[in-house]
Amino acid sequence: MTRVFVPGDAAALSVGAEEVAEALAREAPARGVSIEIIRNGSRGMFWLEPLVEVETAAGRIAYGPVAPADVPALLDGGLLEGKPGALCHGLTEAIPYLANQERLTFARCGVTDPFSLDDYRAHGGYRGLARALALTPAAIVEEVAASGLRGRGGAGFPTGIKWRTVLEQPAGQKYIVANADEGDSGTFADRMLMEGDPFLLIEGMTIAGIAVGATKGYIYIRSEYPHAFRAFSRAIHIAREAGLLGERVSGSAHAFDIEARLGAGAYICGEETSLLESLEGKRGLVRYRPPLPAIQGLFGQPTVVNNLLSFAAVPTILAEGAAFYANYGMGRSRGTMPLQLAGNMRRGGLVEKAFGITMRDAIEGFGGGTASGRPLRAVQVGGPLGAYLPESLLDTPIDYEALAAVGGMLGHGGIVVFDDTVDMARQARFAMEFCAAESCGKCTPCRIGSTRGVEVIDQVLARADVPANLALLDDLCEVLADASLCALGGLTPNPVRSALRHFPEDFDRAPAVTIAATSG
Amino acid sequence: MQAEPSMQELRELVAEFRPNRGHVMPALHKVQDRYGYIPRVAMDVIARQLNTTPALIYGAATFYTDFRLHPRPETEISWCSGPACRLKGGDRIREAIQQTLEVPLGGESEDGRYGLHIGQCNGTCTEAPQVWVNEKVVGNLTVSKAIRLARDVKGEAE
Repeated sequence: MTRVFVPGDAAALSVGAEEVAEALAREAPARGVSIEIIRNGSRGMFWLEPLVEVETAAGRIAYGPVAPADVPALLDGGLLEGKPGALCHGLTEAIPYLANQERLTFARCGVTDPFSLDDYRAHGGYRGLARALALTPAAIVEEVAASGLRGRGGAGFPTGIKWRTVLEQPAGQKYIVANADEGDSGTFADRMLMEGDPFLLIEGMTIAGIAVGATKGYIYIRSEYPHAFRAFSRAIHIAREAGLLGERVSGSAHAFDIEARLGAGAYICGEETSLLESLEGKRGLVRYRPPLPAIQGLFGQPTVVNNLLSFAAVPTILAEGAAFYANYGMGRSRGTMPLQLAGNMRRGGLVEKAFGITMRDAIEGFGGGTASGRPLRAVQVGGPLGAYLPESLLDTPIDYEALAAVGGMLGHGGIVVFDDTVDMARQARFAMEFCAAESCGKCTPCRIGSTRGVEVIDQVLARADVPANLALLDDLCEVLADASLCALGGLTPNPVRSALRHFPEDFDRAPAVTIAATSG
Repeated sequence: MQAEPSMQELRELVAEFRPNRGHVMPALHKVQDRYGYIPRVAMDVIARQLNTTPALIYGAATFYTDFRLHPRPETEISWCSGPACRLKGGDRIREAIQQTLEVPLGGESEDGRYGLHIGQCNGTCTEAPQVWVNEKVVGNLTVSKAIRLARDVKGEAE
């Protein structure tokens, strides 16, 4: 029976993957051919979605983007034999966008059936856990530390050091918390993994639990991802039935289980202490630090809070060894980073590469430049609180330190591209507006400063005493950066100041479009 | 509009939740999934079930933008505020819908039958600029398509 792959990923579904699968299930038998349709994750080439793949003796052949109406003609044209023709891209693995990547974390995403443990194991799954079970907790932690893995959520804190801190706390209830509140607009790596390779995340969290002595894990998923929440909950159930979660993980003496929790529409809950408050059932107000969550985290107990992508890197590190992982990357940024190309990009999608790739290679080489075909003017890396960088800085390597040196940050790896029609003053205003809308309200600089920031930028745009108002804005940015309790207020000046520094001309003319209040 | 659910019905709905386990959010989600909003009486029931105060439940329910304390309008348009949609003229889509519906962002019609809310990027940016009509993506909008959509929503409601 011919195996056909049609993604069940939310991004593919939004462009009609369900209807394509239905059309295949209807049209193939009508031609006397029986097929097996596998709903895989996405390969991360969004401009080709829905991407249909057919398994042949030579490998998997890709067709896309496939509309439901294309299906009869594709079948008649020999899709099930992998014949070339309209919409055919040849071997999936040979498509340059995929072939030129270094996929460690996303090695299986889009390849396997996300809910088949057999498939997961056949593609190297659960080898990391097997090795971890043969090691002492301290040895697991040292392996992660030696890999050089740093937090993939934004701050870039060494994961091994965080785990060591939790391991060193006295025995008692400890927790593992996976941050899947992927709120940065233009990012989707967490979602793709939850839907496309959930056992990888379960394996990574389980290894973390065994390493630090935690028996319970939570994954906090943003409510905008109901599909991912259902997919991940289903995977937890399957892992539990197979004895990979529960009282005796894989028949060992270790207990570990995971509970999936849904957020409720608060960007701030991506901040780790706010997330912990939310998990405890409270308003998502940021906590003072110290104490660090590693010492007093969820319900006051020692807690490892890591981004989902950090946990996702762990099985590879354990299975292949720290040196294998550390061999990728540059400087103090080791391993690979799943970059997410979005905005005005010709070929948006997921690109996993070793640290050190330049922004230009990512945007032009993989992304193919702007979708509009107009000149690129600005790039925002690291979500809505990342700096706007001009074209002249595109040769900066993607590396925690190199980006920081030009005033940028990697964040969660989102890269949003803007062409020359962008009004940077408007973007700067949006940053303040975003902060005002999403502030938890606990600290004054963020709660009040962001609203004042919108007002001051409006004054500048109205050309009212521009030098004095720009000085005021700079002063306000300094207070936000230095005195905010968490990164929301602390990073909001990034987009504002970088827009002022690199695109001053946009602040000294009438705005291109009338600006109306947009926050709710 | 349906009447408020009974205490008994609510007690059964949240019976699985336990105190001190962070069950506030799951309980609120379950109530909202059932009724489309969090009735006032539900907060009392959840508080009792979780051995805490209604004030704490109310605090959580009002912090998160997903939770609503009033029944949702029959038709709700959520306008995506993400950057991909903005880049493709999302602000003009919003203005067109606001003017046609005659409600502000975050507002509802006087009869409560339709409303316009701010949405956060859900990653389906290939469809930008988009809105969600009762959670169904309506993408690749133009100003004229948006006006037609809003007129349909308004017409059906009148």
